[in-house]
Amino acid sequence: MLTEKIRGAMVIMAADRQAVSLGLGTGMKLADARARVPDLLAFDHQPLVDADLLSRLAEACERYTPMVAVEPPYALILDITGAAHLHGDEERLAQDAEDRLDAAGYGSDWALAGTPDAALALARHGLKEGAEAQLPVSALAMDAKTHQSLERAGLYHIGDLAERPRANLAARFGMDLTLRLDRILGLEDRPIDPLRRIGNIVTERRFAEPLTHIDAALACLSELFAEAAERLNERGQGARMIRMMLFRCDGDVARLGLETGAPTRDAALFKRLLRERIEALNDELNPGFGYDLIRLSIVASEMLAPQQLRLEGGEDRRGDEVALVSQLSTRLGRDRVQKFAAADSHIPEQGLLALPALNAPPPVPWKRQSPDNPPMRPLHMFDPPQRVQVIAEVPDGPPYRFTWRRKSHQVMRYEGPERIASEWWQRKDGQQPGKGGLTRDYYRVEDARGRRYWLFRHGLYGEEKANPDWYVHGLFA
Amino acid sequence: MNDIDSDSGQALEPSPDNPSAVPPAIPAKPSVLRARLAKILASSGVRAAEDDGVPSHFGFGVDRIDAALRGNAGVDGLPRAALHELHAASKDDRTSTAAMALLLAQRCRNLDQEERPILWISESGEARRQGRLYPPGLAELGIDPDSILHVDAPDAIAALRAAADGVQSSAMAAVIIELAGKKPRGLDLTATRRLSLSAQKSGTLSLILRSGSDPDNPLPTAAFSRWSVAAAPSLALEANAPGHPAFDINLLRHRSGLYGLSARLEWNRDDQVFREQPSEQNTPDTGAVPALAAVRTDHQDTRAA
Repeated sequence: MLTEKIRGAMVIMAADRQAVSLGLGTGMKLADARARVPDLLAFDHQPLVDADLLSRLAEACERYTPMVAVEPPYALILDITGAAHLHGDEERLAQDAEDRLDAAGYGSDWALAGTPDAALALARHGLKEGAEAQLPVSALAMDAKTHQSLERAGLYHIGDLAERPRANLAARFGMDLTLRLDRILGLEDRPIDPLRRIGNIVTERRFAEPLTHIDAALACLSELFAEAAERLNERGQGARMIRMMLFRCDGDVARLGLETGAPTRDAALFKRLLRERIEALNDELNPGFGYDLIRLSIVASEMLAPQQLRLEGGEDRRGDEVALVSQLSTRLGRDRVQKFAAADSHIPEQGLLALPALNAPPPVPWKRQSPDNPPMRPLHMFDPPQRVQVIAEVPDGPPYRFTWRRKSHQVMRYEGPERIASEWWQRKDGQQPGKGGLTRDYYRVEDARGRRYWLFRHGLYGEEKANPDWYVHGLFA
Repeated sequence: MNDIDSDSGQALEPSPDNPSAVPPAIPAKPSVLRARLAKILASSGVRAAEDDGVPSHFGFGVDRIDAALRGNAGVDGLPRAALHELHAASKDDRTSTAAMALLLAQRCRNLDQEERPILWISESGEARRQGRLYPPGLAELGIDPDSILHVDAPDAIAALRAAADGVQSSAMAAVIIELAGKKPRGLDLTATRRLSLSAQKSGTLSLILRSGSDPDNPLPTAAFSRWSVAAAPSLALEANAPGHPAFDINLLRHRSGLYGLSARLEWNRDDQVFREQPSEQNTPDTGAVPALAAVRTDHQDTRAA
């Protein structure tokens, strides 16, 4: 029995079969229920845990069809169009699902119908296909007031409503009611929102005897990829994103995803990436009692023209690069393998982006340097900048000596200031004096040992700040 | 595996690009000899010069140093298909060392017809503490930031693994791996030897960058050469502004036994070469840098700026 506090009273949100048989039910106050059944066990209702469980069940149901949608709070919708014959017929598929749920300790009600709403309504009221007319009007799931007024008008069942002219119903109760009615009667279909996108290409293998060895499962995945690659080849495409699902016979599902840097049909590359992916897993793949269904789907693919060997011989270096990027990204994570891109900002630390190399945009030329100038930007940058203590001859002048990391540096040469204003247009009321953020005065300085630093004073002396701080922002070669 | 340390091609003076010049006195078929020579060459770490039209060696672009690095190979400069080590002379020289590695990789990359990227691998913790690579700064040195593939490895072991993959693949112009600390985990003779062998096979330049190490008492590694790099005072420009990047380099170890080669170099971005900084510090007010004696015109990369 699960309870939740509603308006100051503990109310029963869900009750198990035994409790129901004792005449307890949802909506009842816990105190009333305790009065009837003193030794009753009550737990807090945790909707998030329920939702989590439901989505796990949904995943397990993907063995029947890829089109599985979660219908909160307590229902799953499976679109088994074209999938039922794999289990014999629709009834046997549903029976199989019920048996599996039963084995896992969950009771279930199910119904088959032409539209998701009809099936939902039937299942909720314990009816079977074709019994839509017998559903009570509450199956419309409108508000209680509407249900009441419908019943007051003598319309108790969906069947009663179905005979009425729609225009009158719509005029009295709104379009919403007729829409819901049509959906339950199967006159209008509602698209469901499946858990995941279905792949373009799906290959799968079922096993009468579950596979208990990881190696066998991996070999099977490689075979499945080879099958998928053949179909990709027919379309002139290569895989960019591959999803693999390993269904354990006890209902657990292991999911693996792979992404490649460029479209590929290369089975050897797939094998290598798969191995990297498995090694990088936090918790190892555990076959338990074995996998009875393994599925591989190509989720994203791109055009890939058949490769032509180069006339003069030699290997394809671009392909090698893509393979390397894919391999490293698979092992270390896509965010750790990066390409740089320029960003549209003149604030130094915001002027760059490190994008995953797996799908980096085509390069944009970087700012050209004027010839004969030494580097004006540092090779290494600190983000955030590091504080330094600076002695300057005049407060708004160049640094004379600075202390950084407990070492004192005498400034031998300097150049500056290069003044970089803050992005005042990004701030609220930034156009007003004093609210636009602090200006930075950058200096390139060299100390006695030949090390070159990029220092800045944060704030204009006197105007923006009485005593501006100094920072080191980068190091030059 | 063949032992690559013992005889790094001592008896290989006959120019390898013309193997048919073997003296005919030996009673064996030329084809057999040719095969044998190819085998020795392949195992000795000396790749045949110009074996596919691409120079097998690279240098600083300073004739004095490149000639001194000739060693046993008979070619100026350092071999590309090898592992080299660059040590920061002190912790504060990390940036200069990184720049030197990148610039050497860039010079190497300029030798190719194809534009292959440079793989840069660093540990994320070190980059956070000591500063990370800043692409506009790369561009200022004349290195196209788009040519850098940056790997932010979680630790030294992952970094070394990524480097091993990069060196093997031959898709990269160079692989640079930055490791901090006195004794990075996983960096030992075996790991460096593996890198070195892969580099020989694939022809990819591999550089190990060390900061916080003790260059006088380094870990034993299988590197072909070991250098120490420090920042050097630049030649001031107009109005006493800091000048072009300057480095003090010092050769600590070389497979051919060279030792004690040191120089103060300045990087010329526009020509993509190093040049020796004049030792005199009497810079005139104009701050004009001395004209370059010999510019290698063959590799002027137009994209470089």
